[in-house]
Amino acid sequence: MDSLSISDLTIRYGNFTAVRNVNLEVPAGEITALVGPSGCGKSTFLASLNRLTDLTPGCIADGKIVLGESGCVLKPEVDILKLRRRIGMVFQKPNPFPQSIARNFEIPLREHGIPKHEISDRTETALKDVGLWEEVSDRLDQSALQLSGGQQQRLCIARALALDPQVILFDEPCSALDPLASAVVEDHIAALRGRVTVIIVTHNLAQARRIADSTAIFWIRDGAGTIVEYGPTKSLFNAASDPDAAYYLSGERG
Amino acid sequence: MKIGRTGDTLLGAFCAVAALTGVGALIWIITDLIQLGLPHLSPGFLTGEVTESGRGGGIGPILVSTVLILISCLTFAVPIGVGCALWFAEIIPEKSHVGKLLSASIDLLASVPSIVFGLFGMVFFCQILGLGFSILAGGLTLACMILPIVIRTTIAAMQAIPEDLRPAAAALGLSRSTTLGKILLPRALPGVIVGITISVARALSETAALIFTSGYATRWPESLGDSGRSVSVHIYDLAMNIPNGAARASASALVLLILILVINLAASFFSDRWFARQSATHSAIHG
Amino acid sequence: MSPSLRDRILRLSLGTTALLSGSVILAVVVFLFREAWPALASGKLSHFFTDLKWQPGSERDPQFGLTPMILASFLVTVLATIIAIPVGVGGAIFQQFYAPAFLGKFHDRLLELLAGVPSVIFGFWGLTVLVPVINRWHPPGQSLLAAGLVLALMILPTVGLTARSAIRSLDPGLLKGAAALGIGRPATILRVIVPAARQGIGAGCLLAIARAVGETLAVVMVCGNIAQIPHSLFDPVRPITSTIALEMGYASSDHRALLYAAGLILVILSGTLVGWQSYRKESFKPRQAG
Repeated sequence: MDSLSISDLTIRYGNFTAVRNVNLEVPAGEITALVGPSGCGKSTFLASLNRLTDLTPGCIADGKIVLGESGCVLKPEVDILKLRRRIGMVFQKPNPFPQSIARNFEIPLREHGIPKHEISDRTETALKDVGLWEEVSDRLDQSALQLSGGQQQRLCIARALALDPQVILFDEPCSALDPLASAVVEDHIAALRGRVTVIIVTHNLAQARRIADSTAIFWIRDGAGTIVEYGPTKSLFNAASDPDAAYYLSGERG
Repeated sequence: MKIGRTGDTLLGAFCAVAALTGVGALIWIITDLIQLGLPHLSPGFLTGEVTESGRGGGIGPILVSTVLILISCLTFAVPIGVGCALWFAEIIPEKSHVGKLLSASIDLLASVPSIVFGLFGMVFFCQILGLGFSILAGGLTLACMILPIVIRTTIAAMQAIPEDLRPAAAALGLSRSTTLGKILLPRALPGVIVGITISVARALSETAALIFTSGYATRWPESLGDSGRSVSVHIYDLAMNIPNGAARASASALVLLILILVINLAASFFSDRWFARQSATHSAIHG
Repeated sequence: MSPSLRDRILRLSLGTTALLSGSVILAVVVFLFREAWPALASGKLSHFFTDLKWQPGSERDPQFGLTPMILASFLVTVLATIIAIPVGVGGAIFQQFYAPAFLGKFHDRLLELLAGVPSVIFGFWGLTVLVPVINRWHPPGQSLLAAGLVLALMILPTVGLTARSAIRSLDPGLLKGAAALGIGRPATILRVIVPAARQGIGAGCLLAIARAVGETLAVVMVCGNIAQIPHSLFDPVRPITSTIALEMGYASSDHRALLYAAGLILVILSGTLVGWQSYRKESFKPRQAG
């Protein structure tokens, strides 16, 4: 469990600035929610934290991201593969590999040098953590694509958990799911508090209110996304000082 | 000007005739070949030696040479073509200059007439590399020719992979080689196989590129360095240069046509099933 | 082996295959050029256009007039194209707008099969079936007409299948829009559908022309192979590709170099057609998006 400290982060795609001057302290073991209207750079910001932005040609992140004691995420010499093991990510659309449930764990665990005999134990523990073990323990060799959407999303969370990450980034993990599946996934995210540091992008303000310790509000300022207000969730929802943020939180916009 | 019901009938009639022409021609060709060739077709014909320059005997050695030419062709074309496609689809950015250059050179290669491949193979493989008129030289020439097909179909198969698998793999800290070898390639494999099947059909059909590279020999080939003619070259030679060769030529043509029809049917069968599966998983995710 | 080392090896080996693949076309052009060089350097290439006859083997008076062959290639291609385009596009329209679904699918499958028939089989069929028919009508049979017909059959699937996909990929809203305006079926097809699909149809036609120019086997077996300027459809002709196929086996020195030069001309011709096609594709893009 590590904290994340982001300072003066600016992200550009060519000439377009998506995110400008973001400063954020993410405390270890807590759940931090990022909210705000669509297209204000939340997802881009999230993707820069594990350097997934490297996959987009022309995307450049400037500034400082410090993970725990170990230093800067953005330095070019950082071993990206190891970094992404420490900072896991779960996406909006469940994206299990189109292979068996067991292979979904085996491939990343083998890649990160976990000895063969530990793999099934780790798989089991991770699946139990997301409440999926009972449902799938008898069909680990079947295709992960046969699971329902909610099950697939929990599988993806388990797959990230199996690597023992310090931080997990969630990019609107419930918005592609039906309400029931969404509630189950949300409960399992909330249960991660104290085990992993969680950063979650969500459009569901009620969800942020239910599970987040702190909330940051993104807004467009001078054509680029930035954080306009940040604080403990409860006080922020009751009395936001930024007028846009207050308006947004009151539910009249967004 | 108004085009009324008569116009509709006229246009419909014209188009029906047009459609019938293509279909009719194919049926005409096939029935002719069956009529001419079937009486000469027998197990002995498929395995027998060539006698009297092809007027007698069978096409056993020619089938063997054909298979050897195909094998040597695929041995080079498949790894190089698939590797090139993977590099294009997964390593370099699509819009980069190198990518555009590579893409253009593959398009140009695909446009080269097969007789020109024959000219090239004759000087490069036969003379400069010293392979002579041989099965290997023919196979290498064909490899150059089918390379664009292998590359294009493999790129298409890689691009048909759901886009979200790549970030999923990257977010788990998987290296590119693992992502490619264990996740993307298994997924694209059916598409790649369809592409290889199409290439095989194309290579089997080819004649012009082989006339000056794999040679004319009709004896049983003993090694890849031997000269050996493919079925298509055999048909050409019988029809053009051997008096009274037409009977055996039509039997050989029938064999070749059946081979190619079977391969093409297999390719479209596999590709139909593959695309059906793709869309099934697609709906499984979204449904 | 560490993952990052593995990645580096992967990049390197894939890059090598890409380099190899990309340089094949370069090698083809370079070696054609190299073999054609004696002819190019000595200015013999101009003989292609100034000599009146093609008698490369003659000891006393070798002549290398390629004009009849270039003309033959051109005429055969034009003949094949003007037959194949209306038939191919007409078939595609029939299949999309007139035929019941099962018949359309059947037509589609047969066209695909026709596309797979090897050129040597087209040539053989032309020689044993079509040529005798033409011969009865107007001897000798092996002729410009026979070559054009066989070639038309060969490129028909290319035209038909691309026209079909171009029509199929049109916005269905186009049809509805036309119907809402009370435009009848033939007018919709001729004035709305075909113009809207012209980009794809044109692409297929260009590909078909490139194929026709480069086709050897189907033509060499039925064209009669006499290097002369034809005066009628029934005269035997000899296109460039046939010349190469027939003479490469025994050609030497100047003759051989000139055949390689002819090959180079073929590459330039078909390369231009394909290059033009991709240029068209580029220049059409913004319009489709807008």
